[in-house]
Amino acid sequence: MAVVPLLAVFRGDFVTLLVLVDDKDTMKVVADKIAYHVINRRLPPQDAPMRVQYNHRALPPDQTVAQAGILPLSFVEVYYDARERRHAGMDRRSYPGRPLER
Amino acid sequence: MPKLDRSEWYDLARDMNWQFKYVRDTEVFPEALSESKGIRPKAWWNWDEPYKISYRDYVKNQAEKESGVYTVRSALARSGFFEKLDPGWKAAIIAHYGVFAMPEYLATFGEARMGRFGRAAAWRNMALFGTLDEIRHGQLQFSFPHALLNREPRFDWAHKAFHTNQWGAIALRHLFDDMFTANDAVSMAIQLTFVIETGFTNLHFLGLAADAMETGDVEFSTLISSIQTDEARHAQQGEPTLRLLMQHGKKAEAQRLIDVMFWRGWRAFALLTGPATDYYTPLAHRRLSFKEFMLEWIIKQFNDQFRDLGLERPWYWDLFLQELDWLHHALHLGLWFKRPTLWWNPDAGVSVEEREWLEAKYPGWHDRFGTYWHTIAENLRLGNIGHTHQETLFVVCNMCQIPVCSPAVGAPPRQVMRDGRVYTFCSEPCQWIFEQNPARYAGHLSIIDRFLAGHIQPPDIAGVRAYMGLSPAEQGTDATNYSWALELPQAAVKSVA
Repeated sequence: MAVVPLLAVFRGDFVTLLVLVDDKDTMKVVADKIAYHVINRRLPPQDAPMRVQYNHRALPPDQTVAQAGILPLSFVEVYYDARERRHAGMDRRSYPGRPLER
Repeated sequence: MPKLDRSEWYDLARDMNWQFKYVRDTEVFPEALSESKGIRPKAWWNWDEPYKISYRDYVKNQAEKESGVYTVRSALARSGFFEKLDPGWKAAIIAHYGVFAMPEYLATFGEARMGRFGRAAAWRNMALFGTLDEIRHGQLQFSFPHALLNREPRFDWAHKAFHTNQWGAIALRHLFDDMFTANDAVSMAIQLTFVIETGFTNLHFLGLAADAMETGDVEFSTLISSIQTDEARHAQQGEPTLRLLMQHGKKAEAQRLIDVMFWRGWRAFALLTGPATDYYTPLAHRRLSFKEFMLEWIIKQFNDQFRDLGLERPWYWDLFLQELDWLHHALHLGLWFKRPTLWWNPDAGVSVEEREWLEAKYPGWHDRFGTYWHTIAENLRLGNIGHTHQETLFVVCNMCQIPVCSPAVGAPPRQVMRDGRVYTFCSEPCQWIFEQNPARYAGHLSIIDRFLAGHIQPPDIAGVRAYMGLSPAEQGTDATNYSWALELPQAAVKSVA
């Protein structure tokens, strides 16, 4: 068990976060740890699975940090995989934060 | 004895240049402090400036300015004006004093270095006045907030900020050390006086002075207008230095110095002046948006000066213009989320009317930033205050020390490995600046580096706040106690009707 600090962005957010994960964490856990700091704070949740992208490649949800070879201070991006959206959920463009048309 | 006209004696009395016989030139003007840029000593003697003020005139002018400023302060100290100021404007001035008071004092050392190591007597003479100016600016900007301490204890941060590890103070120390505390005389003349004082300080001081007057803060407006009259004079050290470099074929070096500091200045002013202009200043008193100020005061002025001096616009100009549309909005959002780490109460500045203003000034603002603020407002209305705070650190750039914000989906920060250490940069220009002189910057630890190195204990968000020196009573909160969020549903209903 070793702590791995990551530079993380949730797609659609505005800033890069420092998120501490464990090298035994799966990508599903990594996505949850990053989403915790963004979803419902600045971005709405979506009814779709989250993916972790590292080095321009989406990683399998059950792969661990160590298995993926992710080093400390690596950059990862998390995003909702719209292709696997379970229902017709919201995305940012239809989110009610946009002002109503007059 | 007949009194000569000043033009008849000024140059003769001022230009005490001579060639050294008993010491080497490099002993009098060590390169580390003076930087000849390879130009021979005597060539520097052609350095000249247009003000040609005498010490007697200087003292007379300054005494009159001091009298005027302190008269206003004394009158207003009894008037209770501070209580009547808008909460957003209070945020702007409390932030301002913490950011500028100590650097003004530190700039005294920079000016004094030019006063000793500038390579022409005319320049050293001008820098002496600059030294006295900066002493005055430091004293003024400690004195004014000190007089308001009984109304707002956080004015103490005018003095305190630079003695803490608050993340913004770390960023500003890094910038100002690079610009003047640890800079040689020639580079400083270009980077401090030409780039920052004739450019960005104009924006901050003139813009905020006008906004202050509009807002009814006569004291602040009088103060910074008075300071700006000094800046306009001693900022003239840059242009003759630049002209001399250009005359001697040192364009590439002059350009590099400008390109480095223009970017650094832009990033700092986007962080500080951007939110104050577009979010903290009361809507009714905003004359121009931050972008409009930049276009009018910075871009036009620099374009003219670059052309006149035979210089080019910095190589990253297009990127800079793109950032005018989004960077300070992102930084403002970050400041607000990190409000417990600030010594002022940031004004969210996103009421319904303010959002419309932002969208009008920055088309696309609603889609890019309004959605974030909507989620924040929802949380506030539901009482989820915890969700309007950040429970981890924002990654900061190893050059500008400012949070790494992204304009585009999936745009990773730039990273460089050097001597086994990873350096992270927010942008190509910040990486480029680092690579111009890695030895100068490599030893610095950002707030992220310090956290990961175990300097911050306990290693959690409470430990981070304690490390930054903010007591619970000093930690910032929303300037209007979230009133903007609570008004939104009603306004939305109204707009539907």
